Amino acid sequence: MNLNSFVITVFITLCSGLLQGQKSEQPKDSTKIQRLDEVIVTATRTQRQLSSLPLPVVLVSKKQVQQTGVIRLDEILNEQTGIITVADESGFNGVQIQGIASDYILLLIDGVPLLGRSAGNFDLSRLTVGNIQQIEVVKGPSSSLYGSEALGGVINIITEKPKEIQLNGNASYRFASFNTHDANLQLKQKKGDFGYTFFANTLNSEGYDLRPEIPGQTVSPFENYTLNGQIHYDISDRLKLFSSARYYRQEQDAQLFTDDVLFKGASAINEFNTHLRLDHTIAEKLQFQYELYYTNYTASELIESPITEDVFSQSDFDQNLLRPEIRAVYRLKPQHTITGGLGYNHENLDRTFFDDKVTFNSQYGYVQYDFYPIEKLNLILGARFDNHSEYQSQLSPKLAVNYRLGSSISLKASVGYGFKAPDFRQLYFDFTNATVGYTVLGYNVAVEKVQELDNQGQLTDILFSPDQLQDPLKPESSIGYNLGASFTKGKFKGDFNLFRNDFENLIDTRIIARKTNGQNVFSYTNFNKIYTTGLSVNANYQLAEGLQLSAGYQLLYAKDKDKKVALERGEIFARDPQSLQTISLNNADYFGLVNRSRHTANFKIFYELPKWNSNINLRVITEVHMGFLIAMEMPY
Amino acid sequence: MKTPFKFISLLAFSLLIASCSEDDNGPTLDPVASNTASNIPAPQTGGQGEPTGGPFTKFSFATGAITTSDTEWDIAFRGTTIAVNGGTITGTNDEPERNGDAAAHIATGTFASILTAEGFTYAQDADTAFAIPTGSDNGWYNYNFMTNVVSPIPGRILVVRTHDGKYAKVEFLSYYRDAPTSPDGFVDESRFYTFNYVYNPNAGETSFE
Repeated sequence: MNLNSFVITVFITLCSGLLQGQKSEQPKDSTKIQRLDEVIVTATRTQRQLSSLPLPVVLVSKKQVQQTGVIRLDEILNEQTGIITVADESGFNGVQIQGIASDYILLLIDGVPLLGRSAGNFDLSRLTVGNIQQIEVVKGPSSSLYGSEALGGVINIITEKPKEIQLNGNASYRFASFNTHDANLQLKQKKGDFGYTFFANTLNSEGYDLRPEIPGQTVSPFENYTLNGQIHYDISDRLKLFSSARYYRQEQDAQLFTDDVLFKGASAINEFNTHLRLDHTIAEKLQFQYELYYTNYTASELIESPITEDVFSQSDFDQNLLRPEIRAVYRLKPQHTITGGLGYNHENLDRTFFDDKVTFNSQYGYVQYDFYPIEKLNLILGARFDNHSEYQSQLSPKLAVNYRLGSSISLKASVGYGFKAPDFRQLYFDFTNATVGYTVLGYNVAVEKVQELDNQGQLTDILFSPDQLQDPLKPESSIGYNLGASFTKGKFKGDFNLFRNDFENLIDTRIIARKTNGQNVFSYTNFNKIYTTGLSVNANYQLAEGLQLSAGYQLLYAKDKDKKVALERGEIFARDPQSLQTISLNNADYFGLVNRSRHTANFKIFYELPKWNSNINLRVITEVHMGFLIAMEMPY
Repeated sequence: MKTPFKFISLLAFSLLIASCSEDDNGPTLDPVASNTASNIPAPQTGGQGEPTGGPFTKFSFATGAITTSDTEWDIAFRGTTIAVNGGTITGTNDEPERNGDAAAHIATGTFASILTAEGFTYAQDADTAFAIPTGSDNGWYNYNFMTNVVSPIPGRILVVRTHDGKYAKVEFLSYYRDAPTSPDGFVDESRFYTFNYVYNPNAGETSFE
């Protein structure tokens, strides 16, 4: 962050504080809020106090979001220890937790999943922070509750609920460089049995260009809208209804410069979520939740020459998910809770480069026992079973322990299993690059498509016999271990956590045939074993009334196990960046997986000016990249 | 304990070689030469779905330069494709006639670690297949379609038998004019080879030292 943007951030935060100060909604005395113990729902699917949880979690409150003055989810998460957003080799941005890529991190809004990924990456800047109550992040595998994709962690966005009888709301507007405008409007009311919220956000920008010497912009102009309406209705004392509808649309210009021709076009994303939930208290000790969720995500892009109207590329993407789920929470006795759930997923995708619309069906059930065998010891045992129409069934267990050592220290340990099902693209893709001529095939269609290409005389070589491609692709899986402690005393709050995640059966492409045009046919297979391991530390100190210091640090090692073996044998080469000559690498040269920072750190000062109802903050986030290029240069 | 023994045997061996060459009154061997060839142009027509064409740029290790000779050449460049003067025409447009006995093998290692041309299986150009496989990751280069950059694969060393039965090893350094250390695929001019090579000018001699 350079000085300019730093100044702008401070200024905007100050302005927004003043703006909000004029609205009716006054924050309560903030020091009192601090003392209250925060509550989190994502870790156990029940309300749990943050301090007693045996899992590594990050909680970002609405207050922190407001103080920071950011507008999109990626910006606020970037400031949390051990969470960063980076672009991967495909060029798309995604979030990384404990060195685990965006593909393996589940995104939820009020407990239900969001669709729409580009080459596996979920773009967090799609989500506005304008209507969120808090952001909950559980690090480490959580498939025991959430199933597929929850290997590296779960990010759950909790939206604001109406609380007050009077109609209250707020409006805010921000202007930033590159002609960027962000506007929010929120209305809330809770009257008797009935409550509602309405939220609207729009963000538009002219984009920017980091490399003016090349035609086209780095980020093209875009505009997007988020609308969210919620209804809360208490049908009776025992039956409560929650329903939510959310709509997001983004339009963005697109351009592409190739072979001295400028192609122009536009892309559009539409996302729609509807969420219906009934909370049913059957007895004091037994509660049921009936949930129905439907979401649709579509993306389309058309790029053509503005002169000849030749279409350069056209792609369409239409994904649906329908999920009914029933959950039960039974309180055996105080602090002994059994949670169970049964659900069904129906998912389909229709897109360019697929022959047909593809459908997945899966059924699942999970159970969790959260209890205190002795006063100071909390145990959480859980497991989930997923039965899927396209891949092997998965059993995901988890065990977590918390031990309270005196009044200010608690020790935490957990181990869990996580998996990610092969996605639609890895199974059904049929794509041939128009300009270069290579082909990428999904695993399930590879045999048939290779046969087709061979019959057309397009292949010189087939590297695998059909029966070598018979065994179904296995889900990617990991086992994660976390061991840590937290310490709270007076004005000081700190924690540390050691982590290790061992991944198996990672899916990547390999060459399965060679084409007569000199290019290759790629398909997917399970092969890599990787691990990420490291340490994270957080410290927070209340220096004086209204003045808070916080610091965080993560050390990370992320490596490919097979590559380590090859290194030990001297089989890995890189190119000397100056002489361009081949050098042989040894283990000491191997920095690890691409795009991982060994050291990340953040340091924040928050200062509140109660008289002005405003605040000033200074935040420094750093990442240290080392050996980046050497890692990039590796063959394989 | 092993080191002294190794050292002594090495010493003995070098003495033996030294004494041999002194005693021998036969033809003395020409020295093995280490060189760099820079900016060898490799223009090409067609491509991107169209049939490729245009004349290959022929190179001779004996002269260390481009040649227009129809016979005295060893390897030839057109785009990312490399032909050897041995075998037959593969069938693309505008290929030069193969009239020598050149052949190629792609070895794995650092340039310095390839000490001899002995023990490899050599391939010649054949109907529909070049001795040096074409396409990204098959032969000497990798093409990154995101950055549009062609880069030589680290650890791939080309070992060549020349058209007249001599041996050379080649390490490609760059496919861009003036060999920029980090080429920009959209800006830098491509189809210019820069490579290091070691050539043993003695017929049948396989050593690169």
